[in-house]
Amino acid sequence: MNRMRMGGVAAATGVALVLTGCAGGSDAAGGDGDKPTIVVDMWAGSESDTEALEAQVAIAQEQNPDVTIKLQTAPWGDFFTKLTTNMASGNMACITGMSGAQLGGYTAGFRALSDEDLATAGLDLADFNPGAEGIMSFEGELYGMPFDVATMLVYYNQDLLSAGGAATPEIGWTFDDFEQIATDATADGKYGFGMGMGAYQWMSLPIALSGTQPAAEDGSLQIDSPEFVEAASWFSGLVTDMGVAAPVASASDTGWGETQYTGGNAAMAVDGTWNATGYLDNESGFAAGMAPLPAGPSGNAGPILGSGYGVSATCEHPEEALKVLGSLLSKDAQDYIASSGRSYPARTESQPLYFESIDEEHREHVQSVFESAFASTVPLYMTQNWAKLESYIQPNLVSVYNGQTTMADMLESAQAQFGN
Amino acid sequence: MTTTTKRRGSLARVETRQALGFASPALVGLALFTIVPVGLSIVMSVFDWPTFGDRTFTGADNYAKLFTASPDFWPALRNSAVYTLLYVPLSVALSLVLAIGLGPRIRGRGALRVLFFIPVVVPMVANVLVWKMMLQPQGLFNGIAQGWFGVSLPNFLADPFWAMAMVVAMSVWQGLGYNMLIFSAALEQLPDSVLEAASIDGARGFRLVWSVMIPMISPAIFFATIMTMISSLQVFAQPQLLTGGGPGNATKPLVMFIWEQGFTFGDLGLAAAAAWILFAIIIAITGMQFAAQRKWVHYEH
Repeated sequence: MNRMRMGGVAAATGVALVLTGCAGGSDAAGGDGDKPTIVVDMWAGSESDTEALEAQVAIAQEQNPDVTIKLQTAPWGDFFTKLTTNMASGNMACITGMSGAQLGGYTAGFRALSDEDLATAGLDLADFNPGAEGIMSFEGELYGMPFDVATMLVYYNQDLLSAGGAATPEIGWTFDDFEQIATDATADGKYGFGMGMGAYQWMSLPIALSGTQPAAEDGSLQIDSPEFVEAASWFSGLVTDMGVAAPVASASDTGWGETQYTGGNAAMAVDGTWNATGYLDNESGFAAGMAPLPAGPSGNAGPILGSGYGVSATCEHPEEALKVLGSLLSKDAQDYIASSGRSYPARTESQPLYFESIDEEHREHVQSVFESAFASTVPLYMTQNWAKLESYIQPNLVSVYNGQTTMADMLESAQAQFGN
Repeated sequence: MTTTTKRRGSLARVETRQALGFASPALVGLALFTIVPVGLSIVMSVFDWPTFGDRTFTGADNYAKLFTASPDFWPALRNSAVYTLLYVPLSVALSLVLAIGLGPRIRGRGALRVLFFIPVVVPMVANVLVWKMMLQPQGLFNGIAQGWFGVSLPNFLADPFWAMAMVVAMSVWQGLGYNMLIFSAALEQLPDSVLEAASIDGARGFRLVWSVMIPMISPAIFFATIMTMISSLQVFAQPQLLTGGGPGNATKPLVMFIWEQGFTFGDLGLAAAAAWILFAIIIAITGMQFAAQRKWVHYEH
């Protein structure tokens, strides 16, 4: 009797274990019934991000009643690590979000889109912002289509500027104006500028100043070119020579300049257009404003960046996935993104809706700055080992800002290590 | 006689089967989540294994590459060694002092023990945030130094020497409570009769502690030292969050190097090879400690 009961318990445990294994497995397998399931994998930083994504997926679902669309999200910081794991285990979602900057390391997982693919998806490059196809391209192949376009701006804190008696950055301002404003605003323990640690944040001003980029169009590294080194050295000199910016505390402070700005410790910082509405309605309550990058001798070309969706190379239903891709980038979905003010849509006809979502008091300002900034953007060229380059540069940038190495030395050793 | 043996044999067999049945979930878990991945990582370490793409067998190439061609591997080894050499003695010694100091006649020692243990249970991210705020040039330490003493402190986390010192300091502060509890438990088990006999014989204060108490709790000290050394060779969260491995690679220990190679750069074969090198180091050091224990650890028999 005892033995039978014990045997029964052991059997029940075994069955339970097997069942949990089965339940876990069926989630990953195909959809319910005979409708194919297309999984959309995207990053989401907050509940509002997730809700926005669900709304876009709902629009795509309406347009594609013959498939089931499932959304899966991860925070930005984890998204690429998870994507790497998914790629390695062959579990990549049929539609995966990708940021243009990171594309270089993940092209192996994405399907290269041909003209027929675009036709299946119902997408026409002419409907999108000029230069948009460069965002999701790498080494000549198109790996996806962007849903938003962005560029870098200089955000300023009007209250701090007025307190220091500094002028206000305006459209068409030059680097001399920038230096003057930063110097005037550095007073009473506050700094005129917050140094960037992220790749876009620190590279933008040197790119605008020098008119060159760290990488060439063919994907080769040229980060030690004399013009770029000179401009980058000027940039790090803002801390070491001019003293208008605070040295960065630690190599893990990726958002240093932006945090200094939102914390009211720095009057200006470089950040992307995606944060425009966030800064305008900032929690600290200071009067914020924005301006395009200052103009150097060769203009103020800033990088055009963006994120988009691509189809995975291992997708089992490529036709349906392409159609879902087209729906996610359709006029309705792009209108939704624009009117919710989340990001500046890549589809040209949806772009005016973005400005209508902004508060009346800021609308004209934002519109004029955006139009001016996007008029002079260039695609940001990257190398295949861009992720490695970034993870080398960021911890060393701290030493540069702290005056322990020079920008020239750091860029030269980056070129030596990654520029083959 | 024969009947008893037969019954014992068949009972033993039935009991073995039942035992196996009960142990099978744990065994399956052990196999799936420990043995298979460990075996897979041994295989990975002798392959060129990118996360996506063709995998080719390369033999000991990964190991050779680590020691000769990887710019971050030797610094990672050095950082792990420095961190361990600084952290383990400090942590064990300070915890021991604390445990002895919080002796049986201190009032409120329960509350004090809880206070010391709180940093251990608080999530590492919270600890790091607070320390970062204190250490930055606009933070607490520099503020006090400049305000009260007129001295400007270095930018701790951006200085190659100070960054490591601060990572060790934060880790010691965080890990004190854990070892302190182990030593407190061991101290409470010391037989009063032995301590009384020693003090009657004239051993007081430091002599009592050094020659009587510490040898008697040496098994606990041995355990704490081994566990602390293993966990310090595997440290990841503190340098990752506090300094990001910077400045440069001044605070990038081996596990951070492995994570970066595997997940940021996608070279899983190289990461697996580095992980096995770490394993070998840990086993060697632990083996040496076990061999040395005969000299200084006194077990009650």
